Amino acid sequence: MTTATVEAGAAGHGAEPRGKRTEDGQATYLVAIAEALWEEMERDDRVYLLGEDIGVYGGAFKVTEGFLDRFGPDRVIDTPIAEETIVGMAVGSAMEGFRPVAEFQYADFMSSGFDEITTVLARYHYRSGVPLPVVLRGPSGGGVRASSFHSINPEPWFAHAGGIKVICPAFPADAKGLLKSAIRDDNPVMFLEHKWIYRRIKEPVPDDPDALEPISVARVRREGRDVSVITYGAMVHKALEAAEELERAGISAEVVDLRTVYPLDEETVLRSIEKTSRALVVSESYRFVGIGAEVAATIAEKAFEHLDAPVARLSPPNLPVPFSPTLEDAFLPQVADIRTAIERLSAW
Amino acid sequence: MATKVHRAAKADARPLPDERLKEILYFLKLARYFDERMEALYRQGRLPGAIYSGRGQEGTHVGVAYALEPGDSLFPTHRDLTAQLTKGLDLKRVMAQFWGRIDGYTRGRDGNSHIGDWYGAKTFTVMSHLPIAYPVAVGAAWAYKRRGEPHVAMAICGDGATSNGRWHEALNWSAVFQLPVVWVVNNNQYAYSTPNEREFPVPTIAERAAAYGMPGVRVDGTYVLEVYEAAKEAVERARQGGGPSLIESVSLRWRGHAGHDPATYVPKDLLERYMAERDPVRTYEEQLLAWGVVTKEDVAELQARIEREFEEGHEFALASPFPEPGDVTKGLWVEDGYWRSEPGRGGGTEAG
Ligand SMILES: Cc1ncc(C[n+]2csc(CCOP(=O)(O)OP(=O)(O)O)c2C)c(N)n1
Repeated sequence: MTTATVEAGAAGHGAEPRGKRTEDGQATYLVAIAEALWEEMERDDRVYLLGEDIGVYGGAFKVTEGFLDRFGPDRVIDTPIAEETIVGMAVGSAMEGFRPVAEFQYADFMSSGFDEITTVLARYHYRSGVPLPVVLRGPSGGGVRASSFHSINPEPWFAHAGGIKVICPAFPADAKGLLKSAIRDDNPVMFLEHKWIYRRIKEPVPDDPDALEPISVARVRREGRDVSVITYGAMVHKALEAAEELERAGISAEVVDLRTVYPLDEETVLRSIEKTSRALVVSESYRFVGIGAEVAATIAEKAFEHLDAPVARLSPPNLPVPFSPTLEDAFLPQVADIRTAIERLSAW
Repeated sequence: MATKVHRAAKADARPLPDERLKEILYFLKLARYFDERMEALYRQGRLPGAIYSGRGQEGTHVGVAYALEPGDSLFPTHRDLTAQLTKGLDLKRVMAQFWGRIDGYTRGRDGNSHIGDWYGAKTFTVMSHLPIAYPVAVGAAWAYKRRGEPHVAMAICGDGATSNGRWHEALNWSAVFQLPVVWVVNNNQYAYSTPNEREFPVPTIAERAAAYGMPGVRVDGTYVLEVYEAAKEAVERARQGGGPSLIESVSLRWRGHAGHDPATYVPKDLLERYMAERDPVRTYEEQLLAWGVVTKEDVAELQARIEREFEEGHEFALASPFPEPGDVTKGLWVEDGYWRSEPGRGGGTEAG
């Protein structure tokens, strides 16, 4: 097993500048996210950014490159390495009428602000009626050889907290429209940006500063007849690739991109199952008590009479994301795994 | 940036026998060579993952770690590989780790300086979250005190990590319980792009020790013997039951935060001044030459040995297999025995 390829320097850090739209209006996910932040800052003076190295440096992945020059240090705040207080600051200022957007250098470090997130942010409004329009954003996900502490998919932790909407977009236009909705939302929102997608996926993105994408609405990314693949984040791209390959083999897979993992758009998921009668749930978050588990349970509970096969799941085991390419590839669901799972389901 | 660093007052006195002075030179030069070569391999696309250069900070890393005994434990960060090498990590296994191979200390489960060797060199396997090992060092130090063992725990973190709540919790706790622990802050003046004045509002980190009721000193991290003497004093005080201490060792991070970062936010003249006047490796080498502890030939021989060791390490790493994909779930639980064959591990758990 010495043939595995290693991606040199692929720990996910953004070395290069963020870049711009192409002439024909296409934007990477990275650029689309920056556009959303920029436009919302232009639109509403109450919106401000805080996080580590986001000002002078422009953020570890360069999402906020150029923001300090345009909006100044009162609205683009470089903070100490103090995640609990990043969240606390966001919450306190939101109580006083601001609309903070906090960046975590990696979503992994959200765990360093866990108490303020799950105790204060998630539970405050229910007991007091005080809205907390706070957005927490950060790069999540693996597949970039960044190992345990720069690859996490923390969406189950925060979906589980109850009072936080959790968004995991897969495409640039969705990322832009959903981040804008998140900033305008009066509730706490966690916005997880999959770092594998940042510079890899490019598409035309709306210019209209009021073009929003609705939170908690899934989207059928690819129509199909035989099997529904329900997924989100980077796995959407793998599922689409697998579906493409299977089309040639005569199997028609539908791909549903959840986009928001909490609260879940059950309706779109169930409609797809009614059509295909077979469900494969793919998530990059852990299998046990992961997002996939919840989706699978929902389907089993609410679409049982439509199912021709047991609901299948593909998710990594509940382990730290390993570094070595052989281990990380075995850990994460791959296109071939998705293909095989679809084939198996379609044979039922 | 005002850094109140100063030269060792006792620069003429040799604090250690010649052989040990030479050993310090070996670690300094090894660290420098390793750092430069690994960066070159990274830039050529021949090294996977990330690198976190400790260049310019070798005086801090070697100075503090060299003050520890084999039974003492070290709790470092991503930046502190040099301290771990000084504490006894095997270069071959270190390099296997960087290449994600089975012979790395984490057996491919983690990469680069996210490394450690609890049963051998007695170092904590680094985790990224800052400064996540500070509270853990409290537990190790408590164990030594509770059992009446003559060991000391030492934890290192950067200047930026002192902004985090757990840094303060750990210092406070260690002083309340008078634990045998030495808190080291590698003040390389930058936390990623963030300079000292955006992390803390006091002139020095060392003076914070007073608020926790422990001694605190600020030393010149570019002069290894000054660092060593301060660390030795703190370690021995802790060993004698004198409780915790804080050491702030000041130098400059010569390279970016990680391999990808050109660090244009560091003023050029500051960097040039440090590289020209405060090079911890060159300063010490010149000191040993002036003392007559080594000759130019000795230094050349030492350098040749280091280069040979690096090549051997590199070959060893590339020849080591990748972990078997089918083993991905192994090693989570003690009972599967995956880690039992680790050298020094001796099967079972330490406690059991
Ligand atoms: C809790 C936490 N937040 C954010 C990060 C991301 N991060 C990695 S290194 C770093 C800067 C660290 O600066 P410092 O503590 O001064 O150590 P240095 O890297 O300079 O040695 C940051 C912000 C982290 N590792 N942990």
